[in-house]
Amino acid sequence: MKYLPLVWNGLWRRPARTIFTLLSIAVAYILFGILSGIDAGFAHTLAVSRMDRLFTDSRFGAPMPLSYAEQIASVPGVAVVAPRSGLFGYFQDPKNSVYVLCADRRFFSLRPEITISTPQLETLLQTRTGAAVSAEQARKYGWKVGDKVPIQTQTAQADGNQVWTFDIVAIVDDLNYPGGGGWFIANYSYLDEGRVTEKGTITRFLVRIRDPERGGQIGHQIDKLFANSSVATRTSSERSGAQSGLQFFGDVNFLTGAVLGAVFFMLLFLSGNTMLQSVRERVPEFAVLKALGFSDRSVLSLVVAESVLLCLLAAALGLLVSKLIIPIARGPLSDFLLLLQMPWTALLRGLGLALIVALLSSLLPALRVKQLKVDALVKRQ
Amino acid sequence: MLASVRRIAAVTVMGLRAIPDRLGASLVIVIGMALVVAVTISILSMSVGFMRTVHNTGRIDRAIVLSHGSQYEFGSAISRDNALTIGDAPGIKIAGDGKPIVSAEYLVAVLVTKTSDGLDAYLSLRGVGLEGFALRPEIKLVSGRMFLPARHELIVGKSALAQFEGLEVGGQVPLADGDWTITGSFESNGDERESELLADSETLLSAMRANTFHSVTVMLQTPESLEQFRTAIAANPTLAVDVTRETEFLADQSKYLNTFLTMIAYVVGGIMGLGATFGALNTMYTAVSARALEIATLRAIGFSGVAVVVSVLAESLVLALSGAAIGAVAAWIVFNGNLHTVGGLVFRLAVPPSLIALGLAFAFALGFAGGLFPAIRAARLPVADALRAT
Repeated sequence: MKYLPLVWNGLWRRPARTIFTLLSIAVAYILFGILSGIDAGFAHTLAVSRMDRLFTDSRFGAPMPLSYAEQIASVPGVAVVAPRSGLFGYFQDPKNSVYVLCADRRFFSLRPEITISTPQLETLLQTRTGAAVSAEQARKYGWKVGDKVPIQTQTAQADGNQVWTFDIVAIVDDLNYPGGGGWFIANYSYLDEGRVTEKGTITRFLVRIRDPERGGQIGHQIDKLFANSSVATRTSSERSGAQSGLQFFGDVNFLTGAVLGAVFFMLLFLSGNTMLQSVRERVPEFAVLKALGFSDRSVLSLVVAESVLLCLLAAALGLLVSKLIIPIARGPLSDFLLLLQMPWTALLRGLGLALIVALLSSLLPALRVKQLKVDALVKRQ
Repeated sequence: MLASVRRIAAVTVMGLRAIPDRLGASLVIVIGMALVVAVTISILSMSVGFMRTVHNTGRIDRAIVLSHGSQYEFGSAISRDNALTIGDAPGIKIAGDGKPIVSAEYLVAVLVTKTSDGLDAYLSLRGVGLEGFALRPEIKLVSGRMFLPARHELIVGKSALAQFEGLEVGGQVPLADGDWTITGSFESNGDERESELLADSETLLSAMRANTFHSVTVMLQTPESLEQFRTAIAANPTLAVDVTRETEFLADQSKYLNTFLTMIAYVVGGIMGLGATFGALNTMYTAVSARALEIATLRAIGFSGVAVVVSVLAESLVLALSGAAIGAVAAWIVFNGNLHTVGGLVFRLAVPPSLIALGLAFAFALGFAGGLFPAIRAARLPVADALRAT
C-alpha cells in the first residue's frame, strides 16, 4: 500500500497516453455494461417464464372448445386450468393495437405476478364489460378508472358492430415486466355472449401443474387426449415458449458474446501496448529502483500494479457511465427489448475481466523489468 | 507548387517507412479498426440481407388488400363475397384467359423445428388462388411437381426446406385434418415466399373449416393503376378494406426488425469506434514523439507545417484503412451468404461492396479523427526545443 503513490505517479508519467488508454477501456466497458443489460433483460424474460406453467394451444390454429378445460383438469398432476381467448383490435388509430385478453377468475390465480387486489378482481368479475389494464397501457393511452374505452376489432357482435366497449375498472402493475409491455384483460363471458361466430371456443388454456419437473410428460398426456379430436392441441411449457420467442432477434447470446470477445481482444492490445511503451521509457528509472535495493519481485509488482490500477479504474468508470445510460436508453429501446440494469454478477465479471486484461497486458513489460540488469543500464546512461 | 507537393510526398513516405519500427503501437490501430469494422459489418449484413429478401418480394405493380385497420395478414379477414367484389374492380391486369390476376389467400401457421438448434418456429402455409402463380411469375418449381387442388398437397420454399426439419419433398406436414404431402419445392428470387409453404386456398380453407380469407393480392395493369383500383374499392360501400402497394406494405412490415438491427449495428459500431479512436490518438501521439527529432530537423531545413501534418495524417489513415480492409474481408469471408433465420423468415446474410465501402469510410473517419490532433501537434512542435532535447 505504501507504494501506491509510486504506482500512481508512474501511471501519470505521460498523462495524455494514460487518459487515452483509460478512455478507450472505459468506452469498451460502456458497451459491456449495455450488452450485459440486454442479456439481463433476456434472462429476466426467461426466469419469469415458469416451468410449472404450461400452455395448451391449438395445434393448427382452429379454436378449441371450452369443454377441453374439464378434460385437461382430469389429467393427473394438473392443478388449475385457466381458459382464455382474445380479441385483436385497436384503440382509435390502427397503430394503437390492443389485444383484449378474455378470461375469468382462474386466469388470475395462474398469473400471480399481476398484482390485482381482491376488491379490484371482484369488481372486474361483476362488471360484465369491465377491463383491468396494465399501468403501462393506461399511461400510453391516458385511460383512467371509470373510462369507457371503445376497441375496434374484426369480431362482430350480434348487431354487426365490430366495436367493443369496455369499462376500465382497474389499473394494475405487472411485477414481471416493470416499465415494459402492456395488457388488457376483460371478461370471457362478455366476449362469448356478444360474438356471433366461434361461440364457446378458447384460443389457449393455461395449465398449472404440481410438479414442474413433469411438464413434458403432462403436456404429452394432454395432447394425447385430443390427438383424434376435431381440434388437436399442442402443449408446451412457458419456458420453452419464451426461448423460441426470444429467437425472434436471432441468437442474441452469440451476438453479445462475439462483440464482447472482439472488444476484449482490442483492449488486450491497447493496454498491453501502453504498458510496454511506458516501461520502455522508464527503463532507467526501474534500474535506479533496483540499484536502490528493490527486489526483482517488487519492481515486477510495481508494473503489474500500475496496469491493474489503470484497467480497474477505466472499467469502473465505464461501468458507472453505463449504469447512468441504461435508465435513459430503456425508454427508446422498450419497443425492441427489455434493457435492465446489469446485475451484480455482470459487474463483478466485468471487473474480473479487467483484472485479466491488466495481468495479461503487464506480463511482457513486467518480465522485461524483472530481467533488467542494473549495470547494463548504468552503462547505457 | 509542384515542389511543395513533392516535399509533402517525401515526408509522408518517410513517415510510412518508419511504421515497422513502431510495430506494436501501429498494430493497435490496425487491430482496433479491423475489429470495429468487422463487428459493424457483420451486424449490418443481417439487416442488408433481410432487406434484400423483403425487397425481392415486393413489386410496385402488385397491391395487397387487407380488412380495414389490419396491420398484418394474420389479423385481417376478407369474406368470400368481398374477395369476389375486389377481384372485379377496375385497374387489375387481365390474364390471357380473360380472368383478372387476383389471389385471395389464406394463411396457416405451421409449427416446425429448426434444424440447427431444435427450437420451435412457425412457418406460414399460404393458400393461394388459381391465379396465384400468374400473380407471382417469380415462383419456379425446382423439384417434384406442383400441388393439385382438392388434394392434401403443398409445395415448400427453398429456404424453408434448408432450415427446418422434415420438409423434404415427399415428406408429410400434419394439419388439422390429417397429413399433407409435400409434392415439390420452389425458388422465388430469394424472397420471403421461399420461407413459406404454398397450397391451394380452397382446399386449405375447407381443411381448416374456415370461410374467410386473410388477404387478397392483385396484379395491377400498370404501377399507376393503383389509384384507379383504390378509388373503386373505396367507393364500394360493401367493402371495409385498405389497399396498399405491395412494396409499401412489405417496407412497413419490415421496418421494426430493420430499425432494430440497424440501431444495434450503429450503437455497437459507434461505441467500439470511439474506443478505437482513442487508441489511434494514443498511437499517433507516440508516433509524433518518436519522430520529434526527425520532424524538427525537417522543419529546420525548410519543410512546411503542412507537409508534416499530411505525413502524420497519412500514417494514421494508412493504418486505419488497412485494418478496416482486414476486418471487412474477414466479415465477408465468414458471413456473406450464410443462411440466417429470424422467427419463421429465412434470409441470406449479405456483405455487398457498398457495405465494405461503408466500413472503409467509417475507418477513414476514425483514422482521420485519431490522426488530426497529433498531426497538428507535430506541426507546432517547437523546432529548437526538439533539436536540443537530444
